[in-house]
Amino acid sequence: MQDMNLTGLFIDMMGRLGLNYEFLATGYEAQIWRDGFITTLYLVAVTIPVSLIVGLIFAACLTSGRLWLSAPVRAFVELTRNTPTLVQLMFSFLVLNTVVSNMLGGAQNNPLSPFFWVVAVVGLHVAALHAEAIRGGIEAVPSSMIEAARGMGFSQFEILRYVQIPLAFRSSLPAIVNGLISLVKSTTVGNAIAVSEITYASIMVWTQRDNVVEMMIVLLAFFSLINFVVARIGQWVERRLAIPGYGL
Amino acid sequence: MSASTDSAIVKLENVHLSFGQTQVLKGIDLTINKGDAVSIIGPSGSGKSTILRCINALVTPQSGKITVAGTRVDQLTKESERIQLRKRVGIVFQQYNLFPHLTVLDNIVLAPTRILGADKTATVKLARELLEKVRLSEKADAYPGQLSGGQQQRVAIARALAMKPELVLFDEVTSALDPETVGEVLWVIRDLIRDGMTSILVTHEMRFAEEISDTVVFTENGKIVDYGPPQQIFHSTDNPRIRQFVGGLSGGGRGAVRDGEGI
Ligand SMILES: Nc1ncnc2c1ncn2[C@@H]1O[C@H](COP(=O)(O)OP(=O)(O)O)[C@@H](O)[C@H]1O
Ligand SMILES: [Mg+2]
Repeated sequence: MQDMNLTGLFIDMMGRLGLNYEFLATGYEAQIWRDGFITTLYLVAVTIPVSLIVGLIFAACLTSGRLWLSAPVRAFVELTRNTPTLVQLMFSFLVLNTVVSNMLGGAQNNPLSPFFWVVAVVGLHVAALHAEAIRGGIEAVPSSMIEAARGMGFSQFEILRYVQIPLAFRSSLPAIVNGLISLVKSTTVGNAIAVSEITYASIMVWTQRDNVVEMMIVLLAFFSLINFVVARIGQWVERRLAIPGYGL
Repeated sequence: MSASTDSAIVKLENVHLSFGQTQVLKGIDLTINKGDAVSIIGPSGSGKSTILRCINALVTPQSGKITVAGTRVDQLTKESERIQLRKRVGIVFQQYNLFPHLTVLDNIVLAPTRILGADKTATVKLARELLEKVRLSEKADAYPGQLSGGQQQRVAIARALAMKPELVLFDEVTSALDPETVGEVLWVIRDLIRDGMTSILVTHEMRFAEEISDTVVFTENGKIVDYGPPQQIFHSTDNPRIRQFVGGLSGGGRGAVRDGEGI
């Protein structure tokens, strides 16, 4: 009851300012909208680690010196960097997803949801951006340091794991944070394939209520807030990983 | 460099190596006994670093035999086999190459624990002992970027020793240092040699080489021109090139010879 009263108070106050948030008092539309926030946060929370892990693997492939690893990743990076994410998503959902369904003998057997495809497409797209940044950092590690590690008996993978990636991650962190900010924004492509993230939910509400401005205010504030948090976490990590006496 | 092979820990026989068209080693023969300190001197580009890299399996010669601590290095075909050898042969370079993102202690502990799989507690204890040996106990928690060149190089030596190598190769480890910090690094190496560590040093510090070496090797143009006890190489050689080189580095002609070497 307390909650209803607070909601009522909010609707009333906004009404006086000329802003229509009456849908909040309804059960159905308010529920869709709330679920939209949660879905977006969930998308962001899942896609960020996917992009980081795949980005690292891509960067490792690109710098491996093995053509069978680097060539396919290079091709994928170029493709995903130079084509719209929305087109990639539609292609994945309409073509790849159908292929999977056919292979499994029907859509009812296909476990891949629209949510999955958004995570995969946005995650891999941003992974490609991360990979380029990390690759630059890996290649910037002086060859004399790599030879010293080899001289101690490090394998190529151990050099990558213990020397190149820790240094490359630090130097590419600003670029990675930029990639994550663009990732947060890119999750909105999900509305094209009916993933009910926050823009999809907002559109549902404003087509019923004709309150585009009101919904927009919240949308913009919401994404600004998420990216503010992402940027702050990035700064915190940067400070944590800063190396005393080292010019990075 | 005695004729007996049973106590030999390093043996190079007729080693030839080229990078592309460039012949770098043109028939190197070298025998080093366990516990010996051997200095390799000679003009820049004569193949000194390449000899060390061959011993550590960082490069593979086109022909010749290399035996290191019982292993036929030239016959190793897999990278994993070369890695096994490198774990047993320490090498320290001119650029100290400490890992900048790790503290001094972690620099020393990383390879033994992660690469050799040694026990963490025991390795930390060993690392602290080694830091004491190189007189840097108080710097255990510092980062390389906070140390002077001489201090970094001493950490690099401790890092190599933490692998408990059977021999250590030093490649011009004082050449990048400020003159006032050269001494502290040489001090550490001198201690090490006195403790009986088999050591091969490429160096331009002639007086130091003369003091600590059992054998001095003079290389020029991919060949060993002469070798022998320091007294012989530095003071009683008939070879005019060695006389010129040694005289140039330790005497008044230093500047001229350095220019000639392109240093
Ligand atoms: N990786 C390499 N690729 C091509 N040439 C090399 C390489 N390493 C060394 N060299 C050449 O081999 C010759 C000997 O080098 P090096 O063993 O470093 O000499 P030193 O240590 O006596 O100065 C030089 O002419 C050098 O340019
Ligand atoms: Mg050299």
